[in-house]
Amino acid sequence: MSRLSLALALLASARVIAADDSGSVAFFEQKIRPALAEHCYECHSAKAKKLKGGLALDSKAGWQKGGDSGTPIIVPGKPDEGLFLRYVRHLEPDMEMPPKKPKLADALIADFATWIKAGAVDPRDQATVEVKRADKSWWSLQPLAKDLKHADIDGFIDAKLAEQKLTRSAPAKPQALIRRLSYDLTGLPPTQAEVDTFVAAHQADARKATEALVDRLLASPRYGERWGRHWLDVVRFGESNGFERNFVIDDLYPFRDYVIRSINDDKPFDQLIREHLAGDVIGKFNPEVEIGSAFLVAGPYDDVGNQDKDAQKVIRSATLDDMVTATGSAFLGLTINCAKCHHHKFDPIPTEDYYRVRAAFEGVVHGRRPVATKEQTQAYNAAMGPLNKERARLVAEQSALTAAIETKAKALLATRTYPRPKADTLLTEEKIAPTEARFVKLTMSANSANPLSGVGGRISEFEIWTDEATPRNVALASNGSKADGVKGANAEDFPMAYSAALTIDGDEGAQWYIGTPAELVITLPRVEKISRLGYRSAKGRILRDNSQGATPCEYEMSVSLDGKEWKKVADSYDREAWSPAHAFERVRKQVTTPDEAKRLGLLGRDLAAVDKRIAAVPKMPSAWVGTHQPKPEPTFVHKGGDPTKPAGQVVPSSLAVLDLVTKPYALKADAGEGERRVALADWITQDNPITARVLANRLWHYHFGTGLVDTPSDFGFMGSKPSHPELLDFLAQRLIKHGWKLKALHREIVLSQTYLQSADFNPTAARADKDARLLWRFPPRRLGAEEIRDTLLATAGQLKLEPMGGPGFRLYRYLVNNVSTYIPLDTQGPETYRRAVYHQNARASVVDVLNDFDLPDIAFAAPKRANTTSPLQALTLFNNSFTLDMAKALAARLDGADPIAQAYSFALQRQPSATERTAAEKLIAQHGKPAFCRALLNSNALIFVE
Amino acid sequence: MSDPLELTRRRFLGQMTTGMTGLALSRLLMSDLGAAVPPGAHFAPKAKQVLQIFCPGAASHIDLWDHKPLLEKYDGTPLPGPVEVTFQGKNGNLMKSPWAFKPAGKSGKMISSNLPHMAQHVDDIAFIHSMTSRSNTHGPGCVAMNTCFTREGYPSGGAWISHALGSLNQNLPTYVSVQDVRGEPPNGKANWGNGFLPARHQGVSMAAQQALRNLDRPAGISSAEDEATREFLRATNLEHAEAHAGNDELRARIAAYELAAKMQLAAPEVSDLSREPEHVHALYGTKDANPLKAAYAKNCLLTRRFLEQGVRYVSLYCASRASGVDGLLNWDAHRTLKADYDRHCPVFDQPTAALLADLKQRGMLDDVLIIWCTEFGRMPTHQVGTTGRDHNPDAYTAWMMGAGVKGGVSYGATDDFGRRSVTDVATCYDFYATVLHLLGLDHEKLTYYHNGVNRRFTDVHGHVIKPVLA
Repeated sequence: MSRLSLALALLASARVIAADDSGSVAFFEQKIRPALAEHCYECHSAKAKKLKGGLALDSKAGWQKGGDSGTPIIVPGKPDEGLFLRYVRHLEPDMEMPPKKPKLADALIADFATWIKAGAVDPRDQATVEVKRADKSWWSLQPLAKDLKHADIDGFIDAKLAEQKLTRSAPAKPQALIRRLSYDLTGLPPTQAEVDTFVAAHQADARKATEALVDRLLASPRYGERWGRHWLDVVRFGESNGFERNFVIDDLYPFRDYVIRSINDDKPFDQLIREHLAGDVIGKFNPEVEIGSAFLVAGPYDDVGNQDKDAQKVIRSATLDDMVTATGSAFLGLTINCAKCHHHKFDPIPTEDYYRVRAAFEGVVHGRRPVATKEQTQAYNAAMGPLNKERARLVAEQSALTAAIETKAKALLATRTYPRPKADTLLTEEKIAPTEARFVKLTMSANSANPLSGVGGRISEFEIWTDEATPRNVALASNGSKADGVKGANAEDFPMAYSAALTIDGDEGAQWYIGTPAELVITLPRVEKISRLGYRSAKGRILRDNSQGATPCEYEMSVSLDGKEWKKVADSYDREAWSPAHAFERVRKQVTTPDEAKRLGLLGRDLAAVDKRIAAVPKMPSAWVGTHQPKPEPTFVHKGGDPTKPAGQVVPSSLAVLDLVTKPYALKADAGEGERRVALADWITQDNPITARVLANRLWHYHFGTGLVDTPSDFGFMGSKPSHPELLDFLAQRLIKHGWKLKALHREIVLSQTYLQSADFNPTAARADKDARLLWRFPPRRLGAEEIRDTLLATAGQLKLEPMGGPGFRLYRYLVNNVSTYIPLDTQGPETYRRAVYHQNARASVVDVLNDFDLPDIAFAAPKRANTTSPLQALTLFNNSFTLDMAKALAARLDGADPIAQAYSFALQRQPSATERTAAEKLIAQHGKPAFCRALLNSNALIFVE
Repeated sequence: MSDPLELTRRRFLGQMTTGMTGLALSRLLMSDLGAAVPPGAHFAPKAKQVLQIFCPGAASHIDLWDHKPLLEKYDGTPLPGPVEVTFQGKNGNLMKSPWAFKPAGKSGKMISSNLPHMAQHVDDIAFIHSMTSRSNTHGPGCVAMNTCFTREGYPSGGAWISHALGSLNQNLPTYVSVQDVRGEPPNGKANWGNGFLPARHQGVSMAAQQALRNLDRPAGISSAEDEATREFLRATNLEHAEAHAGNDELRARIAAYELAAKMQLAAPEVSDLSREPEHVHALYGTKDANPLKAAYAKNCLLTRRFLEQGVRYVSLYCASRASGVDGLLNWDAHRTLKADYDRHCPVFDQPTAALLADLKQRGMLDDVLIIWCTEFGRMPTHQVGTTGRDHNPDAYTAWMMGAGVKGGVSYGATDDFGRRSVTDVATCYDFYATVLHLLGLDHEKLTYYHNGVNRRFTDVHGHVIKPVLA
């Protein structure tokens, strides 16, 4: 092709067309093409090793399309628009072209300008740019299609099936249908009675019975629990902060309850999205709405106390990235986050778009704050005002009195001398008259951080030296000695940590954390004659401050031969006091007059009383909804995504990628914090075809197991294209028509013949469409993680539907020792017998059953669950104590004349077959009902729906 | 017989009852029994298995592997340039390693005298002295050294390799994570997680102190009852599967229960260290008086048994999380380097060296690639007011040994003091590009679609470090 072009070019020049006609092909061929070939093609043509910036300059289409930003780089007739000239003129920082080479000759640049001004005539219009990425003509970025061919769901489905010479299956049997609908809409199995009622009604009038069933299920509170769980997946809801510390967040559950409630109430979804992004602004003093904005802070974030400034910037950038990612994927089905470091590789999202969205969240900070009504807030302030005032008055009087006593103390202390140096974190040592001892006791009454108590200090080593020519430290455990002392901290999975034993391990690296009482007793294996004792707090040898914890500084040391009668051998009282506060403590009693003591006592009593009243004032409800900086930092594009390399500033605004199908907005750079999020929320929900399309597809995805677009949070180039594009737009339009209420759209979908057909296998159809993407049958499925656990509970008669909401339950033990550890529970008590949606899912934790059956880790949103089959699932479901408990509970329910029939009725809402009955009888006879129930709870029939 | 779906189904059922061939079984085992076989290698592999030894807490390169004579010479003087504020705050003057370095092996490699047993292996090791990390925080750093991403949610190396190559054995997990007796490393399970890959690729936790979860027949249930229950389940599931043609998943679940039963027999066997002779126990130090060392030694021995049985990827941890008692739980020597490493090195040294020697002596290094990792290095200076070192993401050492690796090599270098990697600067991307290469995988071709991106283990980076290849 290029050779041919070249030939044509030569031909053209041979014909000597006046090259000064800047609007002619000749001008292009003589001046422009050779320059492009020489200076640009290396990186911007089909020959390029890697097409830089996605920009091709070896075809007209290339510059018309532009690079990764999707904006034409040359605007014919307008040299001042389009970036091409700015690049070659070196007017764009970091984008000087050609890169790392001297600027092109001025004459050549002038030629480019002339050519563009004359209309940028370019004969290279046969060449097409191979589609390796989406541009603004990408299907999902278009307005919703009008003039659709069909008026209902079945029309679209049947038409596609007909293209493949396929047809829908026969209607499903009522038994199968009620099981399918119950799981789909509520996540729970029907009861035998519900099945019987429905089957009878279905025989009388199938349509009417089905409609009534659907209405009943949609009205059930269980519906919100099931569909709320779906939405929580989409918005990456998790109840721990992830990263290194991964602390549990105990007050994020109100958001989960809010989602369930909103869905049960059929709140219009555009409203729900607005509340997610700006509930605190549009619903100030309305907790029901305000809590929605916890969406922003429901993702993982790094809270480690990093002192490195650059690292802090990276962390902040990642924190905001989570919000941008969640917003783009949940509401728009766009991977905006892929444009953080460069223009999106596959979708027409310039990197500026990423930072435009980020600007909306620039002022959002993770954290908790009160979420209360105006009345609650006023009442709280009214109650607290006088109490705070009273408290301040008491504290002031107390301080004045204490100051007066301190003055007297100083005067007294000036007359005192303490001959010995103060205690030392490195080594506080006592030389004593040689004495026999089997037991040595250290009693501590103050430490360097607290003049009033020894509790909370730390000791790394305690030493007891014998009175001999070469003294031995007989305190060491290796000598057979033992240390007893209460520890003030705990690492549950590693009992040795923090223990008193660490004081005699001969290693200064780890410390005993002193608990209550602040007392250490060393027991020697035999009586020794000793003359020197001491302790070390510092872990090293050069530290003399409190940064490794406090050192004991007021103490007594005693010895004993029998552990009963003690003899004091040393104390700290003639040592210099650790601090003025410690010194004051020593003489406090002496310098305080009885009147002062009495007054202080009264003040203390009054203060305690006020504090008690303060504690009694009902706290304002508070939750993990985030806080907001009223004046957010300016937002810059980060070069290469690196927050230490800010480039151009952007303002909070809509995504340029959608400016053809939505009404764009751009706020001022200093727009208020709340205003930014409201603007974004409005833009996402008002006349935005993408939002409706993405949401409609999610509904389809959960009803049929696969979306019309089977990448529900990615409608871009890397996602999949819709199997039924027109149906998708039809559903989106129906959703809007229904006022963004989901229940009406559910109804339309599940009452379609497509949904109501049977799941029966058809080998002929399967050869054409194995996975039934075209829906020649209803696709059968395995239950999801929560459904399986809920089903076991329901079958065993153990499922507790109340409380519906509130703090979640845990299937793990939560250990905190600087960071968090999650250990799955070995036994799951009745307090865990709630619906799995109420499990407090922590990030990077693994619990039995749920995680085995593909409950995703919540590092990311999970718009689609995996569905795997593995031996680990079999091990868990067969051997875990939860299954055995449920098997026992189910066995206990089988109290009728025909326990086998009862079991099948509870588990599968049907009667056993003859072979099943025979086998069950045999198993029960040999090993009892629980064995049979254990098998039934493991059966495929229980966890597959069709 | 004319229906291919039907044929598959019948064959499957036949295999269920007659037992599968080794190949079929190994492909299915620990895999998604409903899913396709693993994609397989791109070219002939040099290694088939991986042993990863991970020392969490940022094990100091300049106190273990990376000898810096000038650090000794300028001990106590300021590091050239302005005073730096790093993770925990201000840094003081240069501080030499508390231990001398000594030449070892034919190569004369200088190694800390605190690792006398490891010194015997230097001629088989390829050191990479020029590693750099994107995080200065333990959790994200550890996760990055396992997944190439600092945030959670991405698959770990073992998960990628399980996805790419599948299982090598018939009754054990593909990927086992052996945790230290002191607990989980920073960020815990994210280090051996499957990320967005299917759950079957996750590392399964097993250690001498911790059996595979849910493996044992529950207390109070006899083996006769257990077998009768299985038999009922098998029959009822077969009947159900017959009635629901065209659903492969139902049969896959039946197979899953069969395989679980096999695992139930095999796992306790492989974990039974009493089957090892006394001299092997002595070599590893499983009965050492130091309980931490003995516990780690048992895990080393267990690791060898896993590898022998064809576990594809074992990650073995020596130490655990960042903690209030950092001197005790991991290699994070902020304040008292000498006391901390005098505790850690003896725990690590002999058992690890024994494991390497044992693998070598059994000829297992023909198949097993060994990689030693930590999340980042430490500063050559001391932290103000302490005798410890702060985090240093700009320089650290990792190493490789075994199948396909050239021994006695040192690749890349830090500056005179070990402050920054300066020569042939390497990253976790390069490190794992090399690991994948040795396993016959092209790190740019091994991909998995997730939320809009064809994800790679090495993100969009990485070059195979060719000088360490044999």
